Amino acid sequence: MVITSEPESRSISVSDFLDAISERHPVSSLSSQAALSEHYLTSSRVQKLGLALSGFADKIHKGRIQIYGNSERSYISRLSDIQVSEAYARLDKENISCILITAGIEATEELVEFSEASSIPILATTIPSSDAITAVSNVLSERLAPEVTIHGTLMEVFGIGVLIVGDSGIGKSECALDLITRGHRLISDDSVRIREVGEKLVGDAPSSIRDFIEIRGLGIINAKELFGVSALSPSVEIRFCIEFSEERLGGDRLGLEPNVMPLLKSRIQKYPLPVKPGRNLATLVEASVRVFVSSQDGPKAVENLLHGHANAMNATIKN
Amino acid sequence: MRESRIVVVNRLGLHARAAAQLVRLAAKFDSSITIFRADRNVFANAKSILSVLALAAAKDTELVVTVSGEDEELAMKEIEGLFANGFGESLQ
Repeated sequence: MVITSEPESRSISVSDFLDAISERHPVSSLSSQAALSEHYLTSSRVQKLGLALSGFADKIHKGRIQIYGNSERSYISRLSDIQVSEAYARLDKENISCILITAGIEATEELVEFSEASSIPILATTIPSSDAITAVSNVLSERLAPEVTIHGTLMEVFGIGVLIVGDSGIGKSECALDLITRGHRLISDDSVRIREVGEKLVGDAPSSIRDFIEIRGLGIINAKELFGVSALSPSVEIRFCIEFSEERLGGDRLGLEPNVMPLLKSRIQKYPLPVKPGRNLATLVEASVRVFVSSQDGPKAVENLLHGHANAMNATIKN
Repeated sequence: MRESRIVVVNRLGLHARAAAQLVRLAAKFDSSITIFRADRNVFANAKSILSVLALAAAKDTELVVTVSGEDEELAMKEIEGLFANGFGESLQ
């Protein structure tokens, strides 16, 4: 399966941005749904509208949120009515994607008129500019991160995000069920959305299938209803990957050969686990996590084994 | 390996019952069958229902179906047929 395809430079509509940010912060819209859906954000960086209002209109970058805060309000309040209309007339309507009014400031008549005439959406929040800027950048850097959705199951085992991949019907979901009953947490079954935020790969469930598991013979079950909220986690950083396969492993029996899986621009460690009747997959997944964690610091068990074995052989020869 | 661009033509899109039909058909074949939705960068395994549902493919969504294996020719023909006749729904 090809899962490294490069997504194009990403964008999010102001409407989707509003949905995302209003989950965490008190942000509302003063504009029509049409204006919200027509405009797109492409950068997680924000700008203060003040610079453009004071005459440096060419400094506006398309695709960024323009912040209208206390400094903008006090600047505008010092201008005469004519100067205010001139200031708005100078603004580059083509390049303004969205204006966010912060600190609970009331939108002036001129600003509302400007927004309606140019159909540029206005959002408003009660939080002050400095906090709003952090909130906006956080939401946008998540939403604009490269993203891919793949077939697989994502679990949090001993607090570590493990992506389980393998053919359909090989037992990923049954293994997930087993892991849940051992107290581990499910993020998503059968389909995992992965975002590359900074250097991290963060996985969650596509919204349409969140909380569900398909168990052959039982159909689609709701894990949250059956096992409770503690059986689920909304998202986790993906640290490594396990591939279930029916193929017999001919090659590496020591676990020395590095095996990687490319995901977006990252590469993560991959452990191939052959599936056979009688193998307890949940136990093997738990063991993989222990192996992964211990390999992150200190020598691998196998290196210790080889070292000890070599010493023992030498001792035999000497005797 | 065979690849085909398919557009969802039925009014309700790839909803739960349509997805179940597709998965039932796909599971009959030995070939591996992948469905890709380019506009959201979503890959699905056609033999897994939740994976297919995660495509959230409404009417007019463009998908790329990739079939690879011994019975790929027949598998592709039947999958294209299922999409083309709108999963047996009316196409209005």
